[in-house]
Amino acid sequence: MKSKECVAMILAGGQGSRLGILTKNIAKPAVPFGGKYKIIDFPLSNCAHSGITAVGVLTQYQPLELNTYIGNGRPWDLDRNNGGVYVLPPYVSADKGEWYKGTANAIYQNIGFVDGFDPEYVVILSGDHIYKMDYSKMIKAHKMAGAAATIAVIEVPWEEASRFGIMNTDENMNIVEFEEKPKKPKSNLASMGVYVFTWSVLKKYLIADENNPNSDNDFGKNIIPQMLNDGNKMLAYRFDGYWKDVGTIQSLWEANMNLLSENPGYEIDDADWKIFSRNPAAPPHYLGASSRVKNCYITEGCEIYGDVENSVIFRGVTVEEGAVIRDSVVFPGAHIGKNAVVTKAMIGTDAYISEEAEIGSRDESAIEDFYNTKICSDDITLIGPAVFVDKGIKVATCSMVTRNVKNKSKNAKAEQKSAKGSATA
Amino acid sequence: MEYNNTLGLIFSENVEVSLGELMRVRSLAAVPVGGRYRIIDFMLSNMINSGIANVGITSGYKNRSLVDHVGSGRAWDMARKDSGLFILPPPETMDMGGRIIGGIDYLSGAMSFLYRSRQEYVMVTDCNTICNIDFEKVMDFHFEKEADITVVYTQVPNLTEKELEKHILFDVEEDGRVKDIQIYPKRQKSDCSYMHMFFMKKSLFIEMIEDCMAHDEHMISKNILLANVNRRRIFAYKFDGYKKKIDNIKTFYQFNLELLDPMVRRELFGNREGNNIYTKVKDSVPTKYGKDSEVKNSFIADGCQIEGTVENCIVFRGVKIGKGTVVKNSVIMQKSQIMDNCDVENVIFDKEVILKGGKSLVGESTYPLVIGKRTVV
Repeated sequence: MKSKECVAMILAGGQGSRLGILTKNIAKPAVPFGGKYKIIDFPLSNCAHSGITAVGVLTQYQPLELNTYIGNGRPWDLDRNNGGVYVLPPYVSADKGEWYKGTANAIYQNIGFVDGFDPEYVVILSGDHIYKMDYSKMIKAHKMAGAAATIAVIEVPWEEASRFGIMNTDENMNIVEFEEKPKKPKSNLASMGVYVFTWSVLKKYLIADENNPNSDNDFGKNIIPQMLNDGNKMLAYRFDGYWKDVGTIQSLWEANMNLLSENPGYEIDDADWKIFSRNPAAPPHYLGASSRVKNCYITEGCEIYGDVENSVIFRGVTVEEGAVIRDSVVFPGAHIGKNAVVTKAMIGTDAYISEEAEIGSRDESAIEDFYNTKICSDDITLIGPAVFVDKGIKVATCSMVTRNVKNKSKNAKAEQKSAKGSATA
Repeated sequence: MEYNNTLGLIFSENVEVSLGELMRVRSLAAVPVGGRYRIIDFMLSNMINSGIANVGITSGYKNRSLVDHVGSGRAWDMARKDSGLFILPPPETMDMGGRIIGGIDYLSGAMSFLYRSRQEYVMVTDCNTICNIDFEKVMDFHFEKEADITVVYTQVPNLTEKELEKHILFDVEEDGRVKDIQIYPKRQKSDCSYMHMFFMKKSLFIEMIEDCMAHDEHMISKNILLANVNRRRIFAYKFDGYKKKIDNIKTFYQFNLELLDPMVRRELFGNREGNNIYTKVKDSVPTKYGKDSEVKNSFIADGCQIEGTVENCIVFRGVKIGKGTVVKNSVIMQKSQIMDNCDVENVIFDKEVILKGGKSLVGESTYPLVIGKRTVV
């Protein structure tokens, strides 16, 4: 294989457990975002635009959806004769086989893949952030400084700094200290989870780290502190665009809503830096004579007859007459029945909300069985993928609905059957 | 998808069609329709959905946008090793200033594609009859009837004299055999109107084409179908689904507005697995509706920014409609911009038209106003 100056490795194996039912069957990078994207479209498109044509995607947790989505990489222009995108799951070798133990171990296990391109640099990315970034500029800065590692940082509000990995730097942006979630932050430069390493140096550290039985094999906890300790030149690279971690239901909801604001902080509709995605064949969307649509993002294949405001509607969604949707995110293929009311909710892929149902209800009679403030903060209600909500059912705000909710059936047999079903579930 | 032993041949031009301004810069096949499609998308999708992956498209000289649109055929999954999508060269007679009289004239550029392809059968169609048809059913019918040629028709009763000028009618016997053909008749003797699609053995097709060329004959309907109606077993397959022939500005406009009918959309864009309509993907963002937008009964593609009022419209990708603007009963093609406080009714905007703020453009519902590509008003 012809050598590449730079190889990108996207860490896409995380479960994203704080996204609750959304990531029950898919990995976090496969979670839908912004009407027609998945989170992983952002790093993949960034790679394509930054001229990085050899990309490894490290998968582990529930990889099926991600694998089929990435396929041969054509939507991101990453189907290449030389290079392209590769999905890299953990594997079994002659002497042992194991899962990816940590972010560093995931790269360690794929040293052979990276070496195949004989690169000068390797870019490590996480597959769970929304941002548009030109990695080639960062690589250039890394090269110019002659650094062993360059870490992208973004200024965060001081009061939030203790939630992030914080870089303390000198006046030349050399990193002097790294603190993971410090109680008293000395700086507000947070790591974005975007690293450039000189590959020969990183490889040495990965091997040493693997031989250390006490290590968590994690970049933030082990590799970066160790490299700092050893006095390597490590650079902080300041990024001042939009960057959003979408690790929680609240932040995912906010990032979607942000697209509807007057100034989202980044241009998603930018002809020079398009976010690519795999587009299924769907006709344009249709807004019926009874529809009322205000401040929305709506995409192909939808049929809207209801009233939708401040919401992001994904591909192939049906909203029937009289339905009212407010401040919500409706994932692909979902169905909102007649006169249903959806308020500040995220409706999972292919979920079915029957007529007259109310999602995010504050009514006293609303079902509170699914109350889950751990996942659903900020009054957001979450309906799981393919969940069926029966006619007239009211789901209380702050709920995470993980299974079908049906009205009590008049048919005793059917009731018994469904009770059995839920007992085994 | 199993491939059939059939190659496809689509005419990208039609001498009887005139779309005026819309065809000034492009071939008939490449005329944008339905929000995100080109006319040819429907027939190409019908072909691939029926297991026909080796398809030739005849072309004229204005084929830049057609070539650009279909590319390698990948959007229709036709970029295959053992088959594919081929834009066939324009006929040589065009070089010499010769006139194109009928479909056969386009085929001189298609002969080597026909000789070389290894498929045994050929499905030949025009591109401008928009429908979602399963050609496998046509093939099954053909073999069941042991036909030499199977033509596709649709039932159209009560045509006016004016409409009859554009129809080719079949007298079809009970068993489906075509007994007689009337080309552009004065009086309607049959309801069975030809849809400009037929299926036959490739070897027979080549033989007939070569005969026609040798006799300076130009029309498929007259010189291949009518000439053989008694000599060959010609059978007619009836298609019941939605169809619309686009042959002038009026029918173009009608077709687009008919897409506002949910039944039409269901029939055209797929009501069973595997009959999607494919087109070239542009990676547009979703459409953004503003706080004051008022949109009713409209079919809208991705990448638009809509701030104003839109009613009964077909809006293509990347269109911008400004605040205080009202657009009604119109077809607005890709990347056109209608700025603030405009009034637009019964208008067809070609691509990248800009209507500056405060302007008013009104056409007739029976005769829409057409604004050419890249016009700034």
